[in-house]
Amino acid sequence: MSLVNPSLIQIVKKQYVYKLRAYMDLYTRLVLSQIVAILFSLNGLGMMGARGGVFEVSVHFYSADLVVIFSILWAFITAILTTTKAIRNGDFLFVTNRVSSNLSNILFLLTASFIGAATAMMSTYLMKVIIYYFMDHHYVDTQGPMEAPLELLFGIFTTTLYLFLFCALGYLIGVLVQLYKGFIFILPAIFIGTIFLREGNTGLVTSVFKFFFMETSLPIFITKVVITSCLLFICAMGLSNRMEVNQ
Amino acid sequence: MFPNFDGTKPIYLQISEWLETEILNGNFEGDQKIYSQYQLAEILNINPATAAKGLNILAEESILYKKRGLGMFVSKAAKEMILNKRKNQKLKQLIIEIVLEAKRLNVSKVELIQMIMEEENE
Amino acid sequence: MNVIECKDVTKNYKRKKALNSISFQIEENKITGLVGRNGAGKTTLLKIIAGYMKEDSGELQVFGESPFNNLMASANTIFIHDQMEFSPALNLKEIFEAAENFYEKWDRERSFRLLHYFSLDPKQYYKRLSKGMKSTFNMIFGLSANCTLTIFDEPTTGMDAAVRKDFYRALLKDYLDNPRTIILSSHHLNEIEDLIEDLLLIKDGKELLYMPIADLKEWAIAVIGKSNVVNEWIGNKEMIHSKDMVQDQVYVVVRNDFSKVELEKAYKAGIKFSPVSSTDLCVYLTSKTKGGIDDVFS
Repeated sequence: MSLVNPSLIQIVKKQYVYKLRAYMDLYTRLVLSQIVAILFSLNGLGMMGARGGVFEVSVHFYSADLVVIFSILWAFITAILTTTKAIRNGDFLFVTNRVSSNLSNILFLLTASFIGAATAMMSTYLMKVIIYYFMDHHYVDTQGPMEAPLELLFGIFTTTLYLFLFCALGYLIGVLVQLYKGFIFILPAIFIGTIFLREGNTGLVTSVFKFFFMETSLPIFITKVVITSCLLFICAMGLSNRMEVNQ
Repeated sequence: MFPNFDGTKPIYLQISEWLETEILNGNFEGDQKIYSQYQLAEILNINPATAAKGLNILAEESILYKKRGLGMFVSKAAKEMILNKRKNQKLKQLIIEIVLEAKRLNVSKVELIQMIMEEENE
Repeated sequence: MNVIECKDVTKNYKRKKALNSISFQIEENKITGLVGRNGAGKTTLLKIIAGYMKEDSGELQVFGESPFNNLMASANTIFIHDQMEFSPALNLKEIFEAAENFYEKWDRERSFRLLHYFSLDPKQYYKRLSKGMKSTFNMIFGLSANCTLTIFDEPTTGMDAAVRKDFYRALLKDYLDNPRTIILSSHHLNEIEDLIEDLLLIKDGKELLYMPIADLKEWAIAVIGKSNVVNEWIGNKEMIHSKDMVQDQVYVVVRNDFSKVELEKAYKAGIKFSPVSSTDLCVYLTSKTKGGIDDVFS
């Protein structure tokens, strides 16, 4: 009897490559959510105007923040979807165990975060082009990607980390829901409940938000995000390691 | 040519009977190689282990003999052995049944022998 | 060598005892038929073998190791069942390419020839296949993977009669080319009885009968005769099945382990014997009552 004996790394690699291709429709969702975000953003954030004799100057502010927020939502939902039955059981059609399945999911989510971040950053330029050509504005103050490449890379990097953090959160929530369906109702209730507990600046949601989003030092920010994501993923892996494949 | 398996008799017995009939019909001569278990499996659409069992019955009765590494061959006296076997087993079984039925129908020994002789004369 | 060793395995599933202390061993390179009624525990057993689930108690080993969370067992096992859902983003050709990447012994040429034979378009998407076509595709997937342990759970569900016949023929030919351990589950024994070597019959999560299929037809026999004569002759032997016939005659199925003296006595008492087909025997053995559906109407 000749038995094949693959290593964990080999299988994780194969599963990762497979997932990039097999979960294609998740990217179409990303593109859709970003287009919607761009359309919303085109409304502009605000406007300033001045009038003097025959001259009239108006300044419009636009921001791609909404695109990033929508991408974060997309990352969060994508992570939850990866834990659902259809995708989880999909691994079992090929060679797998629960550890390799989780590891390849994490690699996949990391890649998805990067793609989401890159397209979100690029959408700033897309917005400027749209505004310039279609909105009848005569001057668009901007820096092209080539003028400030470092700024762009930095933006992609930090956005990737944000998306990845939300992937980790979504993944854990997804696993919890798979273990006990009641979490579908319990978790949102807890979340909304905490928001409405008006504790001003000391509330839980506020402090968590501050902890991650108000950090000014890059190394500390990286450490915070990486450690938190790892903890969330380890919890998810531990919880799902005994999960059975049920149809 | 191929047997149609009947649901109640073990398949390996049906295979060995089929092979016997093939030998009786002269499709296999003495010292000729007979089908391997895999050929039988393929021809008859059955599990090769079942086919092997059918072959082994005939080997145990020395109707077939094994040549190491070459497979199974038909013995020289195979035809005769099969004829004898069928005479001793099948015919004897039939006779037992006839006698039993005759008893049930109150047919006497003499009457029974007479019936057999009449049948043969026809 | 044993590919599967199962000892006293118990599993509760969906608030029911799906497996109840089941024990058996499956040897290398044999085709084993797993037969039982719906809900007897066939699928649960196969899922534990495939590493989908874990036993509650007892011990189950595949290739000498527990299959749960075991990459080696997973790489050498393929489990084909009717709940398989491949990614909707992949067409059949792409699924095969992925499979080839995972299963080292994958037979690419055979997979595409089978696809062609069964008129499946490689560019077709899995989710667009009909139920019967999905079964056909799953079957091709299972055969082409060439795994040391190949498991088919009710593979012919939804297939039409011609495809069914082709499937069993393909399975046999593939097995002759490439002997491996195959488990085939079905509730139709008559469909698979020529193909399998051993039969594992289960009832209520427990093994009921495990023997070479060749011996099954001689394992039991039907006894027919006047009820008082038959009952006296059988004595306290266990009746597998019994049915009243016309004029006080009964048809009783019992184990076929009588001595020559007993048989002669029976002949003289006018008792008749008749062989029982494997399919009927399995139905009798797995039925809840001795008389089957007739008991409801009596």
